[in-house]
Amino acid sequence: MGQISTSSAAAPTGGALAVHDAPSQQYLTFSLGGEMFAVGILNVKEIIEYGHLTEIPMMPTFIRGVINLRGSVVPVIDLSARFGGKSTEVSRRTCIVIVEVADDDTRHDIGIIVDAVSEVLDIPASEIEPPPSFGARIRADFIFGMGKIAGKFVIILNIGKVLSVDEIAMLTSTEGLSADSAAGTPLG
Amino acid sequence: MDELTSVYVQESREQLAEMEAGLLRLEQTPDDRDTINAVFRAAHTIKGGSGVIECHFIEHFTHLVENLLDALRNDEIELSSAITTLLLECCDHMGHLVDTLAAGTPEPDPTLCADGEALTGRLKDIIAAEPGRGGSSSLTVTDDTVEVENLGNGVVNTDSWHISVRFGRNVMRGGMDPLSFLRYLGNLGEIIGTETITDAMPAAADMDPESCYMGFEIRLQTRASKSEIERVFDFVRDDCDLRILPPQSTVTDYIRLINELPEDNLRLGEMLVRCGALTQAEVDAGLKAQHAAEDTPAAEATAPPLGEILVESRMVHKEIVDAAVNRQTQIVDKKAREAQLVRVHADKLDQLIDLVGELVIAGASANLLALKSNQSDLVEATSILSRLVESIRDSALQLRMVQIGDTFNRFNRVVRDVSKELGKEIELSISGADTELDKTVVEKIGDPLMHLVRNSLDHGIEPVAVRLERGKRACGRVSLNAYHDSGIIVIQVSDDGGGLNREKIRAKAIERELIQPGDNLGDKEIINLIFEPGFSTVDKVSNLSGRGVGMDVVRRNILALRGTVDVESVEGQGSTFTIRLPLTLAIIDGFLVGIEKAAYVIPLDSVVECIEQKNLTGDRNFLNLRGEALPFIRLRDIFEIPGEAPARESIVVVQSNGRRAGIVVDHLMGEFQTVIKPLGRMFAHLRGIGGSTILGSGEVALILDVGALVNLVTRAEEERLLPHRHTLALASSSTNSTAIPSGR
Repeated sequence: MGQISTSSAAAPTGGALAVHDAPSQQYLTFSLGGEMFAVGILNVKEIIEYGHLTEIPMMPTFIRGVINLRGSVVPVIDLSARFGGKSTEVSRRTCIVIVEVADDDTRHDIGIIVDAVSEVLDIPASEIEPPPSFGARIRADFIFGMGKIAGKFVIILNIGKVLSVDEIAMLTSTEGLSADSAAGTPLG
Repeated sequence: MDELTSVYVQESREQLAEMEAGLLRLEQTPDDRDTINAVFRAAHTIKGGSGVIECHFIEHFTHLVENLLDALRNDEIELSSAITTLLLECCDHMGHLVDTLAAGTPEPDPTLCADGEALTGRLKDIIAAEPGRGGSSSLTVTDDTVEVENLGNGVVNTDSWHISVRFGRNVMRGGMDPLSFLRYLGNLGEIIGTETITDAMPAAADMDPESCYMGFEIRLQTRASKSEIERVFDFVRDDCDLRILPPQSTVTDYIRLINELPEDNLRLGEMLVRCGALTQAEVDAGLKAQHAAEDTPAAEATAPPLGEILVESRMVHKEIVDAAVNRQTQIVDKKAREAQLVRVHADKLDQLIDLVGELVIAGASANLLALKSNQSDLVEATSILSRLVESIRDSALQLRMVQIGDTFNRFNRVVRDVSKELGKEIELSISGADTELDKTVVEKIGDPLMHLVRNSLDHGIEPVAVRLERGKRACGRVSLNAYHDSGIIVIQVSDDGGGLNREKIRAKAIERELIQPGDNLGDKEIINLIFEPGFSTVDKVSNLSGRGVGMDVVRRNILALRGTVDVESVEGQGSTFTIRLPLTLAIIDGFLVGIEKAAYVIPLDSVVECIEQKNLTGDRNFLNLRGEALPFIRLRDIFEIPGEAPARESIVVVQSNGRRAGIVVDHLMGEFQTVIKPLGRMFAHLRGIGGSTILGSGEVALILDVGALVNLVTRAEEERLLPHRHTLALASSSTNSTAIPSGR
């Protein structure tokens, strides 16, 4: 499971640097709730097997918890829940994709849970359509564009927006407050 | 930034701090020769270094400062308060210039340049105002003395150059013969005398015949210019230490030469001979200069009476003797200090601490496996190992400990400037300067302390008239104190000023809607309201404080260091701000507890005891602990962990800020050395969890923030039961919590 996806992703990652002159970029595609998504390969650091997750209490559901990534503590986000859907069911092929997002001048590693990682694809800029104004059932600013692959659309994510640390921190603070009052009820 | 520059920047900052401290001392004791010499030396070192790294903007400016200091040192200019202020400003400016250099900018920015110009102008004015110096920017001081010498009878034999040269060890290996340089030098003019310096020569057994240990003191009569003389030594320029004194050099220059000489175990007499200061004609001239100097009122203080002039086989200047003696003691001091200190880059230390952190985690994992294996030998071996790791951890953390004294001493300047600005008389007293705490903490505590001190100066200490009216000393006092108290460090800022006016605070808090008029608050609660955001009692906004951002920023910064701050005040007698901080931010002793499969760490210093309780059911969340009603928190409920509680639950009794509470958990797992891993900015708003750590099994465990957890529950309950006190509850909730920083 984890090993398979890691190796399938690792080989094309190495080739990413070679394809630089073409106006196309490489994207890692993965499936989530039956749909195909893609993120720019340059954001992806590694793909690991799902497991050993520590839950953090009083957090919104889309924050699944934290993992120990070789000595540093990395938060893990449930993308499906972040998009407003239901939480991802863990299966045999569930992976955590570690992505790096820049925020001001610091960089954060964040894990995202995906159902399965499929492959790394070249998508030329000409094959990327602007996102539809509505209908994708995902906030429009989360979508970088719609990539056309073999006649089908994949949603290319604007991962910096999806995993905006500021926004998530803000969401957790409001969530934290309501969790407090919820937690207050059983007391007394 | 290359290594040389970074060393220079660091040293300059130290020298600047020394210079500033010296200047402040001088203000108290203007006649202290040692201090003014120290200040001069500091400036000189900065200038010298800037020349080496070719940073000309620092060199130019420092040169002017040095001129003024030199004039002060020679009593040509009297030290006044205005000059001290100017010099302090120059210090600041030099600091900015060093910052510019550190930032890697080739030139200072225009505003800084303008500041520099202004200061340069003022420096020049002061120097020019002094008769006899005439705005000359040369360092050949005591021009007047020279004139007097020449006016005497013209026999002064200072028309020869004095050259001090120390060859580097590798000169002979490089194929150079030191003698050939002397021979070549002879082509330029007439060598009047040479002295061979063999002090660097080691004992015969240690001597490497291929190394050059020699130096020479040469007196040369020539028409050649300085650059021509320097050119003689061109081939060994990088590998020798060359000093050239032009003809007509004065006593001061020779003193400087003595100070700069590399030899350390010099016998006094030899040193003087080498300086060329002992030529009979020169001594005579020097004596004449002194006689002349005695007639000049300005120089009166330095000119030693004839009787004091040391006679050691021949006659020498007292100043020169003094300088030589000083030089010798300085060398001894410096050697002693150098032996005690090793300069290590902070990054390397941080890396070591990180590694020790990993070691602790790996050790815990080995321990765990050993226990599982049931092999007693292995268990014993790992327990010895973990004991060693523990001591390594402690000494590694010890490496980062620095004394708080330097931070405290910075406030001398602040107090001086602010009290002048406000027209108050304030003295600063410092105690516990040798208290040590983590470098990271020291760096971060500076700003909050600055706020508190400024606050005391501005709001605490009353104007002189008011003080006298109240029967106090005219001179106010602000004290800084630091001490260790069972694993934490306590820093106090106190003043003997007016204290906090409770009624005023109360009124203000009501006006700002921080509390309701009907609220019944304790004394302590009222005065701690000053830490609330947007609170400021002084109506007039000064440029020091009073913008209402001060106190809540102070509290936030201190909370970020896992510390607390509170205030005590007696009206009319003063206030004391007490900051409590943990000694280190990186590793704590923790107590591991578990609920279902999840593990949590409770900081061990907040754990009082553990008790086991059967059937802990019922509506009320408190129990009878030896007659005391102990409220408890069910972690399972508050963290919404699914599953049924086991029949026997454990309660960890914790204490935070004088309040006790129980934390109900499923099982206890014992002590655990906890390396704190910050959770990151994403969890910045998370209350009740202070951070995370990695267990021996590789899993992440959360560290409970006991104070915040108790507050969280208290608040939730208050909110439910007392809806009208909503605002206050929110505002005071974080007063006493201990937060673990979310980022290091």
